[in-house]
Amino acid sequence: MGRILIRFNEEQVSEPIASQVIIEYKVPMAILSAHINSKGGEILVEIPDDAEDTIVEALRKRGVTVSVPKSIEVDSEKCFSCGSCVALCPVEAIRLTSDSSVEFDKEKCLGSTCSICVDACPARAIKAVKPNGNGSPNSREKKS
Amino acid sequence: MKKLVESSGVEVAFKEVDVVTTGTFGAMCSSGAVINLGHSDPPIKIDHAWINDVEVCHPGAAVDIFIGATNMSEKQPFEYGGGHVISDLVAGKEVEFRATAYGTDCYPRTQVKTTLTKDDLNQFCLLNFRNGYQRYNCAVNSSDETIYTYMSKLLPRFRNATFSGAGELNPLMNDPDYETMGLGTRIFLGGGQGYIIGEGTQHSPKNQNGTLMVKGDAKQMTPEFLQGAAFTKYGTSLYVGLGVPIPILNIGLAKKTAIRDSEIFTDIVDYSVPRRDRPKLGQVSYKELKSGSIIINGKKVRVSSLSSLKMAKKVAQTLKSWIEEGTFTLTSPVERLSTTSVFRPMRQTEEIPFVVSVMHPAVTCTEDEEIRAIAERIVTKSVNHIVVVDATGKLRGIVTSWDITRAMAEGKKALADIESRNVITAKPDEPLEIASKRMAQHNISALPVIDIERKVLGIITTEDVAKLLGRRY
Repeated sequence: MGRILIRFNEEQVSEPIASQVIIEYKVPMAILSAHINSKGGEILVEIPDDAEDTIVEALRKRGVTVSVPKSIEVDSEKCFSCGSCVALCPVEAIRLTSDSSVEFDKEKCLGSTCSICVDACPARAIKAVKPNGNGSPNSREKKS
Repeated sequence: MKKLVESSGVEVAFKEVDVVTTGTFGAMCSSGAVINLGHSDPPIKIDHAWINDVEVCHPGAAVDIFIGATNMSEKQPFEYGGGHVISDLVAGKEVEFRATAYGTDCYPRTQVKTTLTKDDLNQFCLLNFRNGYQRYNCAVNSSDETIYTYMSKLLPRFRNATFSGAGELNPLMNDPDYETMGLGTRIFLGGGQGYIIGEGTQHSPKNQNGTLMVKGDAKQMTPEFLQGAAFTKYGTSLYVGLGVPIPILNIGLAKKTAIRDSEIFTDIVDYSVPRRDRPKLGQVSYKELKSGSIIINGKKVRVSSLSSLKMAKKVAQTLKSWIEEGTFTLTSPVERLSTTSVFRPMRQTEEIPFVVSVMHPAVTCTEDEEIRAIAERIVTKSVNHIVVVDATGKLRGIVTSWDITRAMAEGKKALADIESRNVITAKPDEPLEIASKRMAQHNISALPVIDIERKVLGIITTEDVAKLLGRRY
């Protein structure tokens, strides 16, 4: 399964764009997070890998911005397992193991669309990173 | 020890165990380091000094400086500070030092700039005024906005909670009458050996809030157990690994060191109230805190630790191995920690005003009332704001005289069409200055004052603030 971030502007937000694409291509999309109001917004969706190219193209044709969200990376050298991030995570992608180490599940993580943990890390060990590996610390303001 | 007491009883544990090692690893803001740099040529009597752009103060004569963990870099404030400088020096990194001075006949130099590592320093002494808090608050936020505190990021409306402290592993919790601790007790400090040099500042033994003042040679310490930290919108700090060995001198200590997390309680404190005495919402045990969630007002709230339990265990285990190897010997204190000290609030000669001191009763209406009736009330009561409440007096919205005028102009009849539902509010025990700033920030002229259940207690307006300032100046 791949994840894509779909952004709508003020005009597009009232159109049923995502629904049209789902119906037309008969591809299931799981909405993982949504920050939307009448001014526009973005949704993070999960789609099957083999349909990714088709869906991205179909969405772009309808004028919305489609991108791959940045992923969250934890620098295990810097992390001293305080656990500040654990209770903040909305999808329980971070947990404490039985020996009190912080364990991060990249699969569950919503990536840069959430970033709630980034500015709560006292060790500054959590960063939003572009999928191609370019680090970009403090790249986004927190969203809560 | 804890398991042994549970399985075999105190008597057996007392005979079997000689020493219990404890440990904690948390953000300890009242930490710092005293450094002696040696003299430059020509000599300088430092007036102002910086290391890696973090201002350091000069507590003594010419070339003694003190690095405070919470002092922040002038170039990267909130991200890099004194705690990081200490950690970098301990790690053997090179730091940039610069200083200015006014120049005297005996110390003519007025500025100096150099790079330094810990090997260049005469003394590099970790000196922490307040470490190892016996227990600490559990922090929550009842307000509508995320707040950033020294207890980290607190999400609105109790969406998370944070706590600090090692609970049953904490040094002071295992010897609550301080029988074995005091001036001269040798301890694990920052990966090296250090000493307790007395009670910490704000030591408050009567309510289980004891603290330690400690020192140690930082040149012997390791960066793993001394780590700089940054708390967003609060500032910088230093995570300190601290462990105290407790010799089991009597059966009482065997019993005391068997303490469990389930027996250690702390207060749940609402950090959204910016006051010295913040509201307490109940008590919770360290067992519940470490479980990952607690119950507040009947709701499950996820809770995170700020201090590292993993590192606390490592401190206690390392100390244990040192004692077993014979590289660490226990000392008895020359003077035990006080069990009677009291932590008093600041004496203030000037009080600041709070919302409660200027608020007055709000003129209210309910949603089923007609606009005309509300317009009349605005005139008869001569106010500009009408607070919309429900049958139980809880806040629903606000209507201003401007909203009514606009309704007339646009021919709107229903209150629902003109009232503002997203109301910016104040709390009675907030400082007036904070509430005033909120009015300015949102460009509004009144704030309904509500309690924790959103019941309307009154209203404050910009006129109230102006009147108060008029009286004061």
